[in-house]
Amino acid sequence: MKRWPWLLCLLLLSSRLWAFDNEQLAQQLSAADVVRGEFVQEKYLRSLAIPLSSRGQFVLSKQLGLLWKVRQPFAQTYRIDAQGVSLLADNVWQIQPGQNVAARQSRLFLAVLQGDQSVLEADFTLQLQGNAQQWQLQLLPKAVFLQQIFKVIEIHGGALVERIELHETQGDRTVMRMLNSQADSALLDDEQHAFQL
Amino acid sequence: MHFNFERGLPKLFLVLLLGLTALSTWQWRGVAPISASLLDILPQGAADPLQAFAQQRMQEPLDRELIVLLRHPDGAHASQVFAEQLAQQWRASGIYQRVDSQLTLDIAAVRQQLLADRSNLLPLAVRQQLAAQPELYFQQRLAELFDPLNGFAPVSPEQDWLGLTAKIQKNTQFDSRVQVDSSGYLFVEQADQHWLLLRARTHDSAFSGSVALQVAEQVQQARTTLVAEGGELLASSGLLFAAQGKTQAAGEMQWLGGLSLLGSLLLIVALWRSASSLVALLPAVFGLWVGVTVCIAVFGQIHVLTLVLGASLIGVTIDFPMHYLSKAWTLQPWRSWAVLRATLPGLSLGVLTNAIGYLALAFTPFPALSQVAVFSVAGLVAAYVCTVCCLPWLLRHRQLQPWQQPLVWMQVFLNWRAALLRRVSSGRLLLALLVFSIAGVMQLNRYDDVRQWVSTSPALLQDAQRIAELTGHQPTSQFFLVKGDDVEQLLSHLQTLETHLQTLQQAGDLGSYQSPRQYLAGLSGQPSLAQAVAQVPEHALAPLLAAGVSLEALQAELTVLQNLPERSVEDSLNGPLGEAWRPLWLGLQQGQYAAMVSLQGLTRMAVFSELAEQLAFVKWVDRPAELNQLFEQTQTHALWLKMLASGVIFVFLAIALGWRGALRTLSVSLLAALAAAACLGWMGQTLTLFSVFGLLLVTAIGVDYAIIVYEGVGGAATSLLGTLLAAVTTWLSFGLLALSSTPAVSSFGLAVSLGLVFSFLFAPWAARSTPSAA
Repeated sequence: MKRWPWLLCLLLLSSRLWAFDNEQLAQQLSAADVVRGEFVQEKYLRSLAIPLSSRGQFVLSKQLGLLWKVRQPFAQTYRIDAQGVSLLADNVWQIQPGQNVAARQSRLFLAVLQGDQSVLEADFTLQLQGNAQQWQLQLLPKAVFLQQIFKVIEIHGGALVERIELHETQGDRTVMRMLNSQADSALLDDEQHAFQL
Repeated sequence: MHFNFERGLPKLFLVLLLGLTALSTWQWRGVAPISASLLDILPQGAADPLQAFAQQRMQEPLDRELIVLLRHPDGAHASQVFAEQLAQQWRASGIYQRVDSQLTLDIAAVRQQLLADRSNLLPLAVRQQLAAQPELYFQQRLAELFDPLNGFAPVSPEQDWLGLTAKIQKNTQFDSRVQVDSSGYLFVEQADQHWLLLRARTHDSAFSGSVALQVAEQVQQARTTLVAEGGELLASSGLLFAAQGKTQAAGEMQWLGGLSLLGSLLLIVALWRSASSLVALLPAVFGLWVGVTVCIAVFGQIHVLTLVLGASLIGVTIDFPMHYLSKAWTLQPWRSWAVLRATLPGLSLGVLTNAIGYLALAFTPFPALSQVAVFSVAGLVAAYVCTVCCLPWLLRHRQLQPWQQPLVWMQVFLNWRAALLRRVSSGRLLLALLVFSIAGVMQLNRYDDVRQWVSTSPALLQDAQRIAELTGHQPTSQFFLVKGDDVEQLLSHLQTLETHLQTLQQAGDLGSYQSPRQYLAGLSGQPSLAQAVAQVPEHALAPLLAAGVSLEALQAELTVLQNLPERSVEDSLNGPLGEAWRPLWLGLQQGQYAAMVSLQGLTRMAVFSELAEQLAFVKWVDRPAELNQLFEQTQTHALWLKMLASGVIFVFLAIALGWRGALRTLSVSLLAALAAAACLGWMGQTLTLFSVFGLLLVTAIGVDYAIIVYEGVGGAATSLLGTLLAAVTTWLSFGLLALSSTPAVSSFGLAVSLGLVFSFLFAPWAARSTPSAA
């Protein structure tokens, strides 16, 4: 009889240890200062048999934002940071017009990759499953406004984000896969340079 | 048969009193018939009904919309929670048509409109590129489809392979500092502060009922709550300005009216040393009551400005009992009806000349002046009737034994004046006065601005200014009115005007403009969407085909685009995307199509009126400038009317007093007004419409005093004392008006105060013969 409280304590403690929560995920995703890798983006449109797919490389910096270098089918480089989305043209960053919406969207995209809970939780209900090695995060839009655009956003990953799926209300779907992601502690010189062109 | 004063007059008064009670009870049965709208007392001005309609369209939202920016110290989320609670409370109050904390955009409706209105709304540059460089267009379109951040368009690519809807959407978006977050909250971010925007619109306009006061109270409550939590709340609305105007006018009327009543009361008790002398206040109260009632009967309502000026009428209406009662100094023992008989001619002549003076103002084109004139005439006549009918009856068994000292002072004053006249002749004094007056009048500047008519609290202005800074929206009341024979011509006229406006924008004279043509971009220029699409060769579609889009799908879309069902301009404006442009389109009005172009951030007004003169189909509507010009005309107009009135008064006076007496009394009053105007000049004051009105009033009052002194019932000193008492009580009310925070009212008060001093000082010159030091 005397063992009961001890057992209860042990159970509670162990479940605390085992459960993988949002906070831990956020810590895990923001641990690395720099992440670089390759991506494949596929847009599945209802009326197209094959998806529209593009591929390239990305560099994610905790401080400077995201470099999204599309290599196929076109070479085009985007930068996403607090200011919004910029497109590299003639070696100069050109901030894209329509800042309101674009800046908002890009912040969301950055928040997904960096696991920034505060940004995500403002607009979505988060549902996390799995453990640190293999997890799945579902983002369900809270506001009616967003619900008219997205059904759900699903993020899969391990140590880093591996796959992002955006399910649009109209039936179209976008899948982004991050391949060969590597964490690093600092940007390479040319990357640093590219961010600050 | 001789009319029996002593029985008939009180009875007559009783009948009047009953009728008045019935009328005013009926008038005040519902909402108080008080108006605070400046529009009600400004001339209708716009003779052109189209312009009047356009002005109303522009003004309407200003009188109903409330904009609130709020900031909670705990950040965006806390602000949202606060705004949500506030919106709920306000909605529950039932005075709002809508309270929006979030943008309720129906994306399905937007999607539908975007597809239906592709022909009406697609900008010219896109159509030109489609027609001239189709290959490039489709290459770029493919790049858009691959754009990593292009997944958020409201219309799915399969409904719009050409990507026209995104281009339309871009064209309809404002370059605004106000952003929308993904939950639909509108916000502004500045210096790391997150401000949430809340918009509300009332059912009724700011000037009907108590809506404005309710809104002001709700805003105040919300502000207090949020400030207590460490946050900030800014609010801007015509409603708040209206509420402030109403509250302030009511407050001023209370304390100015109260103070003037109290002052008069103390004066009466101190002089006559009898409680029964307080009946002297009855005519004043009765006069006010009648003034308000007649004003409402004539105009349907009474404006707060009239009420404030009218409250001071107490001081003028009390003149009648003052003159009457002042005879108690010499006509002893007091016999109320006998004194009335002696003073009746003077009093009657006084009310007649006063009324003529005021009536002249009723014929100016300014409803404001007409209201004050009607109020004053009615009030004066009522006070006169009350004095004549009531006072003798009420005082019939009383003995009045006033304090003798003031009479001695008057005698001293008269002696002193006589001593002065022995050294310097009246003629020389007159010459000196004229020199002083002419020099003073020459320094007067005429200046009028409609902004003098309202006193706006600095706090409200500051809020409005900060909101303008934060949101970048600085609406102006000026706008362009553009006309055309048909829709096509109107659009081309709008385009011509816009070309000129763009030049002004580059020159820095204009921040931005909003024209319905910017939205209806698809309706101007060649080629049309159908023409542009018809020219697209099949090979240009190659990039999309390579990505897997079927040729049938693309061809089907091209066919649809060439045969889109025609939509009218009104259809497009009524869609959800057209909200911001809808009010600017006036449509078919009196056989012509008309639209407005609104402007933001004007620096020089002159360039816009010049521009309108160059373009025959454009009219520059600048209501404030128009009004200010009208003020000047009215000043001149009022002066002429006054001259005319003086002529009429002269005729009446000549009949009653003979032409010498008429000349004497009238010139004394005119000189007093002239000297007062000169003083304003020497003091560096500007001459406003209201100070002119004050000076005109002075001539009316001055004639009154001059008649009393001229008649000289009870002796020169007694008559002068009656005049002094009348002047002091009048001054007690008008002098206090100079303290009003409404510039127009205070300039009126100052002009009258100065005029009263001179009217009193000059009054002895009106006496029949040179006063003897008796």
